[in-house]
Amino acid sequence: MAINLEKISAILQNFVSSTNDVQGAALVTPDGLPLAATLPGGMDEERVSAMSAAMLSLGERIGGELARGSIDRIYVEGNTGYGILTSCSEDAVFLVLASQAAKQGLLLLEIKRAVTELKTLLQ
Amino acid sequence: MVLDSHEFMTRMARRTNFTPEDRAILQASADWGLEIAPDMADAFYTYMGNDEEMNAILNESEGRIHRLRETFVEWFHEMFTGMDDWGTDYADRRWRIGLIHVRVGIGPQHVVPAMATVVNEVGQRLRSEGKSDELHDALSRICMIDLAFIEQAYLEISTAAVLKETGWTEKLFKRMIATGAAAST
Ligand code: HEM
Repeated sequence: MAINLEKISAILQNFVSSTNDVQGAALVTPDGLPLAATLPGGMDEERVSAMSAAMLSLGERIGGELARGSIDRIYVEGNTGYGILTSCSEDAVFLVLASQAAKQGLLLLEIKRAVTELKTLLQ
Repeated sequence: MVLDSHEFMTRMARRTNFTPEDRAILQASADWGLEIAPDMADAFYTYMGNDEEMNAILNESEGRIHRLRETFVEWFHEMFTGMDDWGTDYADRRWRIGLIHVRVGIGPQHVVPAMATVVNEVGQRLRSEGKSDELHDALSRICMIDLAFIEQAYLEISTAAVLKETGWTEKLFKRMIATGAAAST
């Protein structure tokens, strides 16, 4: 079955507009290709996608090397906000950008929900 | 990512237009190749000895330069004989030569000028002995194929090391190079 990109885009857009303090999201392949993205203006979708895939993969390698088990997510915490990378099945990486004001627990719950929904579309 | 050396040989032969005629003329001149090989080795190592960095590499261990002179003569002669008609043995041997240079840390900046020296020296010798343009062309082509092997080995081995350590796919790595290169212009 072909991947329903329209539906994936709709989920991302909905996720970004309906989750408090979320500024952007993207779903990218392990090769670093964007499947769908809703990013803040001025961000280069191609570069962000490649870097996201690279980061998750590197994080998984570090996790293995440091005996941290399988990696659930990677956090990039800056002084103006977060970038959170979550593996979304073998075939995709889910990137979420959130502002500093985001409530982490709530955000993680929303990410989990979105990932579950996205996974069914990627099967 | 491990290179299929035989496939690479075939592709380079096609790309450089290394023809059956080239092979025949090289094989017919194999004795001459062996005869001039020691002189070519002299020119090669004199050239490299004049470069501070390469000279240091060459004299790093006892007897290295002596061993290298012998392997150079063999290498040079093999360009004429083609070993197994420039087949799998030839390709494997060229790939191995590439690997050895990568391990010692010798990169394009060293190898390209070194090969240029070989091409230049052989060219002068061909002219002074009144050899044909066809032999000159055939030798230039095989030198470029051999150079391509050493260059490709450098790239493949460096890339393979990065992929192994990061878990990145080859496509992702290429994409990062493309996006990174676009951003730095
Ligand atoms: C036209 C370019 C070159 C050719 C055709 C060539 C050829 C060779 C060959 C045939 C070997 C032996 C491989 C084996 O053991 O199977 C070798 C090894 C080596 N070459 Fe080169 N070479 C080239 C350029 C260079 C340059 C630029 C350097 C820099 C100094 C260099 C330094 C070495 C060293 C250090 C070794 C290893 C010696 C050892 O076993 O200790 N080569 N090369």
